[in-house]
Amino acid sequence: MENANSSESSSDLKVVHRMTVIKRIIHWTLFLSIINQIITGMYIAYPFLIFGITPTQADSPVSGVLNSGETYQAFIMTWMREFHFLGAVLIDVSFFGWLYLAFFSTKEPLYKSFLPFGNKINEMYKMLKHYFTLKNKPKTGKYQDPLNAIIFTFFHILLLLQMATGFQMYVASFTGTSAVGAWWPTMMHICTDWTLLVFGGLTGVTLTHLFITWLIIIFIFYHIYIEIWRSIVWKEGDILIPFGGYKYSRDNLKEDESD
Amino acid sequence: MRKSNEKDKSAKEKEIKNNDDDSFCSDEHNNRIDDTTFKWDPLRNIADDPDEVLNIIDSHLTNLEKEYFNGQKDIDENFNKVFSASSVSRREFIQWTALLTSALMLPTIFAPRVARAANILTRTPFIWLDMSDCMGNTEAFLRTAHPTPAEIILNYVSVDYMESIMVPAGYQAEARRDGTIKKYKGKYILVVEGAIPTAMNGKFLTIGAKGKTGLEITKATAKNAGVIIAVGNCASYGGIPAAHPNPTGSVGLSSVTDRQVINIPACPANPVNLVGTLVEYLLVGKSPMLDSLGRPLWAYSGRLHDNCYRRGHFEAGEYVKHWGDDGAKKQYCLYMMGCKGPFTWNNCTVAQYNQDMSFPMRAGHGCIGCSEPAFWDRMTPFEKPNADAKIFMPAVEATADEFGVALFGAAGVGVAAHAIYTGVKKRKNNKDKDKDKDKEKEKDKDDKLNSGDNK
Ligand code: HEM
Ligand code: HEM
Ligand code: SF4
Ligand code: SF4
Repeated sequence: MENANSSESSSDLKVVHRMTVIKRIIHWTLFLSIINQIITGMYIAYPFLIFGITPTQADSPVSGVLNSGETYQAFIMTWMREFHFLGAVLIDVSFFGWLYLAFFSTKEPLYKSFLPFGNKINEMYKMLKHYFTLKNKPKTGKYQDPLNAIIFTFFHILLLLQMATGFQMYVASFTGTSAVGAWWPTMMHICTDWTLLVFGGLTGVTLTHLFITWLIIIFIFYHIYIEIWRSIVWKEGDILIPFGGYKYSRDNLKEDESD
Repeated sequence: MRKSNEKDKSAKEKEIKNNDDDSFCSDEHNNRIDDTTFKWDPLRNIADDPDEVLNIIDSHLTNLEKEYFNGQKDIDENFNKVFSASSVSRREFIQWTALLTSALMLPTIFAPRVARAANILTRTPFIWLDMSDCMGNTEAFLRTAHPTPAEIILNYVSVDYMESIMVPAGYQAEARRDGTIKKYKGKYILVVEGAIPTAMNGKFLTIGAKGKTGLEITKATAKNAGVIIAVGNCASYGGIPAAHPNPTGSVGLSSVTDRQVINIPACPANPVNLVGTLVEYLLVGKSPMLDSLGRPLWAYSGRLHDNCYRRGHFEAGEYVKHWGDDGAKKQYCLYMMGCKGPFTWNNCTVAQYNQDMSFPMRAGHGCIGCSEPAFWDRMTPFEKPNADAKIFMPAVEATADEFGVALFGAAGVGVAAHAIYTGVKKRKNNKDKDKDKDKEKEKDKDDKLNSGDNK
């Protein structure tokens, strides 16, 4: 860090484009829907964690309002599940959008952060080392740095698992057909039945879904921490990427690395 | 009993007069039905044309009746004998055939045929093997105080071998079994109850005067059976004997024979499901459509959670919190008391137990998932929600949340350590630029931190 700062004056500060509008939309859709999934999912797992009391057992105005009315009016679990499924739809769309852009984005496809593979893995280790020594910051430019790229990819694999286990639980209530036809449950069965074998039946699938939720929570905290850390330590405005789409760079970037 | 050698169905169906009124089940249904066009249940598609379906079934039943009865008189008497002995009236029996017909998801036109098949069932050669089990299914079928027709039929089936009720013993019993296998090759019904130990070459279970292993007996009996049925969870999937760590290597029936096995799991299996499956086998001549776990779709295609009368309370967020609390009195959902209905496919809420009048959720206890594979491992703890179960991960003895929170805590500590380290390090770097000094301390800290925070 010191070296980087001393060798280059701040007048070299360059603006680098990092996130297209679509990617930013995907990022914040994911953010909102995942927060939604965590809240509604935890309610599904532990219906008492949030409201604490059932409508007719309500003994305080707050829980009374939250759970007011007759059984048929309350439907808290229905709403939680409904919002969970709505969030699931957003996650699915975002996921496949991300997958498409990872390869076919015209501006900054993710795969560029992995090629050539040997170099990039090396760079990843350098970044890790930099996290612990604060020295020799690898260059950051137009493309995501390999360490982030790998962690984000891993995170999307978690999302994919969450989708597979989630749809397996979802298809459980179908009996062979649906309002839109038999293809819908059939497709879900084809795509997600493997989870039953891998995780040991529907209960195992549910537990996996719950456990991955924790991994995702951990990712979120790590992710926010490391972006703030970068912004403070590098002083390159990394945190601005998902808002404005740009960051700054002090590194002497070659033409094709900046934009 | 109608004589059913008629070939061109729909025309004759209406003409048939109920002239044999004295016969046991001259059916009232038939007169009511003037439209024989129905859509054959797609679950069990044996022919596209409804008439053809009825023809196939009728000729099937006629052949079987010829084989096991001596003429019409014998058929009618058999009915009377079976049911009068158990004080079931003809009316009750007809009600029951209607029930079973609809349970089988068949149109009413099948009700008289179901009755005929039930009658034939009492004469079909039948071998009932008991392996590693508690005889719970036997007990449940044989010992009801007020048996339903399903249970009566099971009591009256012509059992050629069933250890708990047969008269012969020792060598005689085995001779009887071997005789049946030879005499009725490819025809007899084989019902197996209990898991089959396979460890030590099956020596954990030896049966009979010759001390044969259960493994040998099932293999030999299954080879020539007409239809093979595994009744109860143990025979279907290994059940309790196969629970972790399964020292006897117990497995379900389908794992020891390469022939098709119809699984009727549950603990104990519902007699309606067993008799229904046998009746359907007699009607169609082949096994019903099975799901991916080998269970007949007509009985096991519905998830309990979706057919439970407490589901409204589930959706409303109204749950029983403790046994006997207010919610329990109001029959709230048992989700928080560990109900495994959301993970279990069975027809308990429809066919019901105990003289067809109750099932666990009605009685106020959650489902324990007894019709699913490995329920003893996967559905436990029975009285706690699934989320409180231990996750299946080697060397981890924790629930998903305990483990998740622990990881989260560890990650938090790591992040905090890294943040502090960054702050300290930066200040140091600013203060003195002596590189040698720096490197020494760095190494110290690196070693410590790298182990704690290696994301
Ligand atoms: C549920 C919460 C969040 C999730 C799941 C999430 C996920 C992601 C993912 C997957 C990427 C990579 C995008 C890509 O590959 O195109 C990313 C990038 C980024 N996110 Fe988030 N994010 C979350 C919240 C936040 C928050 C709250 C902030 C900060 C305010 C933030 C800041 C960033 C930044 C700065 C990047 C760009 C990293 C780079 O390109 O080097 N994220 N996020
Ligand atoms: C970031 C993504 C997600 C998170 C954090 C999340 C979290 C959760 C949690 C904690 C539960 C409760 C598990 C339990 O009962 O023990 C749950 C249940 C469930 N989730 Fe998700 N989930 C996510 C994505 C999805 C997706 C994509 C689907 C796809 C349809 C889905 C479908 C379901 C279903 C069907 C249930 C069970 C609901 C029920 O039992 O009625 N989830 N989720
Ligand atoms: S009692 Fe069990 S099966 Fe019935 S609604 Fe509640 S969780 Fe579902
Ligand atoms: S309700 Fe559940 S535990 Fe009870 S018999 Fe049915 S499947 Fe088995």
